[in-house]
Amino acid sequence: MKPLNRHASLALRHIFVMLFLLVLAGGGVSVVAHAQETAAPAESTAPATEAQPAAPDQSAEPPAQAAPKAAPVASVMTEQREKIEGLTKQVDDISKKVDQASKDDAGLVALRGQLEAVDKSLLDSGIAFRPRLAEINSRVTQLGNPPADGQPPEPEMVANERHALNTEKAEINVLLGKAEDLSVRVNGMVNKITVLRRSLFTNMLTKRYELANAFTGEVGHAVNYEISRLYNSVSSWLRFVVQFKFRAVLAATFFALLVAAVMQFGGRRIFGRLINRDPSLEDPSYLSRLSVAFWSTLLPTLAMGVLLSGTVTLYTYFNVLRGDIGVLLSGFFTVLFVSFFVNCLSRAVLSPDMPNWRLISIESRAAQLLVWLMTLTAFVVGLDAFMGVVSDTLSSPLSVTIVKSLVAALLVGVLLVLIGSVKPFVDEKGTPRPWPTTLRYLLYLIGLVTIVSALLGYVSFAQFVSQQIVITGALLATAYIGFLAASAISDEGAFADTSVGRWLKTKHNLEDTTLDQLGLVSNVLIHILIVIVFLPFILFQWGFQPGDLLVWLNKLATGFKIGAFSFSPLAIVTGVVVFVLGYFITRWFQGWLDGSVMARGKVDAGVRNSIRTVIGYAGIALAGLIGISSAGIDLSNLALVAGGLSLGIGFGLQNVVSNFVSGLILLAERPFKAGDWIVAGQVSGTVKKISVRATEIETFQRQTVILPNSELINGAVGNWTHRNKLGRVEIPVGVAHGSDVKRVHEILLDIARSHHMVLKNPEPFVLFAAFGESALNFEVRVFLADIGNGSIVQNDIRFAIVEAFDKENIEIPAPRRDIVVKAPSSPKTWSIDDEKAEAEYFELLSARARAAQQPAPRRRSKKPDPA
Amino acid sequence: MKTLILASIACLGAAGGAFAASAVNKDAQPRTLIVTEGGSKSELAIGPGETIEFCSSGCFVTLPNGDREALTGNEAIEISGGAARFR
Repeated sequence: MKPLNRHASLALRHIFVMLFLLVLAGGGVSVVAHAQETAAPAESTAPATEAQPAAPDQSAEPPAQAAPKAAPVASVMTEQREKIEGLTKQVDDISKKVDQASKDDAGLVALRGQLEAVDKSLLDSGIAFRPRLAEINSRVTQLGNPPADGQPPEPEMVANERHALNTEKAEINVLLGKAEDLSVRVNGMVNKITVLRRSLFTNMLTKRYELANAFTGEVGHAVNYEISRLYNSVSSWLRFVVQFKFRAVLAATFFALLVAAVMQFGGRRIFGRLINRDPSLEDPSYLSRLSVAFWSTLLPTLAMGVLLSGTVTLYTYFNVLRGDIGVLLSGFFTVLFVSFFVNCLSRAVLSPDMPNWRLISIESRAAQLLVWLMTLTAFVVGLDAFMGVVSDTLSSPLSVTIVKSLVAALLVGVLLVLIGSVKPFVDEKGTPRPWPTTLRYLLYLIGLVTIVSALLGYVSFAQFVSQQIVITGALLATAYIGFLAASAISDEGAFADTSVGRWLKTKHNLEDTTLDQLGLVSNVLIHILIVIVFLPFILFQWGFQPGDLLVWLNKLATGFKIGAFSFSPLAIVTGVVVFVLGYFITRWFQGWLDGSVMARGKVDAGVRNSIRTVIGYAGIALAGLIGISSAGIDLSNLALVAGGLSLGIGFGLQNVVSNFVSGLILLAERPFKAGDWIVAGQVSGTVKKISVRATEIETFQRQTVILPNSELINGAVGNWTHRNKLGRVEIPVGVAHGSDVKRVHEILLDIARSHHMVLKNPEPFVLFAAFGESALNFEVRVFLADIGNGSIVQNDIRFAIVEAFDKENIEIPAPRRDIVVKAPSSPKTWSIDDEKAEAEYFELLSARARAAQQPAPRRRSKKPDPA
Repeated sequence: MKTLILASIACLGAAGGAFAASAVNKDAQPRTLIVTEGGSKSELAIGPGETIEFCSSGCFVTLPNGDREALTGNEAIEISGGAARFR
């Protein structure tokens, strides 16, 4: 029985470890590293399984809370007392374990999880008393206060009952006090664990080993001894397997290979398009290069993870693995997995065989070299972790562990410097160029830090740095490819070129702009997805444990406090989701009611529109309210906000609110509906849509007028088609003085009656309207069933009148106008042109001057000139 | 419409998810609650007629009359005559 249990727990542990490795994509290295630090490696995962018994306690709570009503009173007390005592014992146990496991990070996290469960159970216990306490309190109030001195004594039964109730209450209070104290203690322990873990991490990084002590002659012996023990261990296991478990191993290996084959061929068949590069493509687009890089990293790595974890699971299932071999095999598979992952990633990015598909434009030779160097670095780091596992399993001396880690750290440092010194680019002349300066010096720096710290004795630190470089670096690189792909997909037209985009385009006939918007949406989604997927991996790498994340998630779910402000993101997300659901349900209901019920019920289009709109607003308001309450938002909090808003509404939003309310009135009272012909002020036209702020009216010139609802409510609105479309049109016509008016009246009435659109009842009427200046005025008044046909009828009747009057020689006179033209009394003209007048005046002056000068020469001729 | 939805979400976010217990003091004199939450005890004085929010994630409370109660953090309690009544 005992070995069976052991195997079962071993199996569980392996499954746990391998799944963890698989899911964390290499995160296991850090776990192994932490385990290496601990004195008792086998315990590293044990607390995780121990956390399970705490869980049923928690889940068993709700019935206990609901029970008291039905159960006898005493049982609540007994039950909860026992429970609190049990929890106290559990806390004592955990307290001891915390002291023991003070060097085991994973163990501490598991203990913290248990403590949090205990804290919750304590609170639940406390709450279980509530109904009983309420009963006691109300009964004590009913009994009233004990009679004061001098008053007649109360019956003994009452006094006894009060006493019993008060005693019970006191007991409950004592128990609650115990629970409270225990809760304080539990929280203190949680804080202690946090401090311990922090110092554990700091110690790990700052611990210095004396290298001189490690490098003594004993190391050589120790290494030899370790190797021989490893050999013995493995060979004895192999013997055991061959002798007793040969069939099981064959079966397990067969299944594992079967899985591998299925993944290899099936996966290639299904995902081949995603991960295979097409060598014939001259210039593949950036997006397809990125996508191939991403998938050709992810899918093979996942497949490899499934294969390796499947193998371990199968071996465990067939009881092939013994304790130490299982750990060793898991460690070895981790090395394989990490190396494979880094190799896939570097090949995906650098694509040494196909320059066209390379993500960074570097030289082929350098690409080949870099792939090798990176894979080698990962292998060294993985091997170091594996050797740590070997040392733990075989309980090797510390000096061996230190020497191995030192060698590994030095190797990683040298490899990093080598990667930094590769010259991947060429300039125009073809001479090789190194990495950009920053990157190069960063690589040099990290490499040198690793080497120097290892040489100074800070081996754990060097180991930590080299692990981070490989694993975090690889994870970040993969995430970065994802980010780049996300950015590339949001480029204009990029999404339409993807297979999804093409599918959407052909299936749903989407436009390019819609596809572009979808590209943006997928950009955001991919970003979020990458953060969700990769952030935990990276956090695990940096020493966080799954338990930490669970605690955070729990905090997110239950809410946290910032000052006096409590905030629960999950609740708010729930609220938003509920609201969105409500919104879509409303839309669906609207569509169903409109399309299926009202359309078949032959309901008028305008009424349908009104009902539809009102249901839409009501549904959204309802969804909003439900969303708010699911978000856990107290509406009284909103009242404060609303109070503040109302002031703003009073001033700034006055018009908007007035229009909104008017819109609701329009929808409810329906003075007009969509499709009606209305006249509001200067606007006359057909109502197209009544929305909550304004109403759209289309005039007969096809101009859309948007009229605020308040104007339609406050002003007079004429509706030609309110209850029915019946309407009257008038056609004025004049006949010359002296015509036979009786005959005219008869003709007009005949014409009106004979038109097929004119109603018989109310019957058409011809009015002898006036004795005009130039004509005798008549007016033909006809009623139509649909006033919309007014123009047609008017046209027809006018044509008919002209025709009939022509036949009967009745004249439609043109209005006579006498124009009196008066002749001007004096034809005095005024010079209009000033310049001309000036010129004439100047002419006149010069003529006079010439006339005045005329005699002078004559006089001069008499007297000779003295000159 | 979108802008309206966004604005209302923002408004709700500003109003805050209230996942705290609230206590209102109906007495004429100030009352003091002793609240143990997250491993620390604190005294919470409530003025007459005042309402306060506390205990966002479960706590133990000692009421003015010495009664003890455990709260999950979504209750609303009313203190009158030093005793508490759950609403």
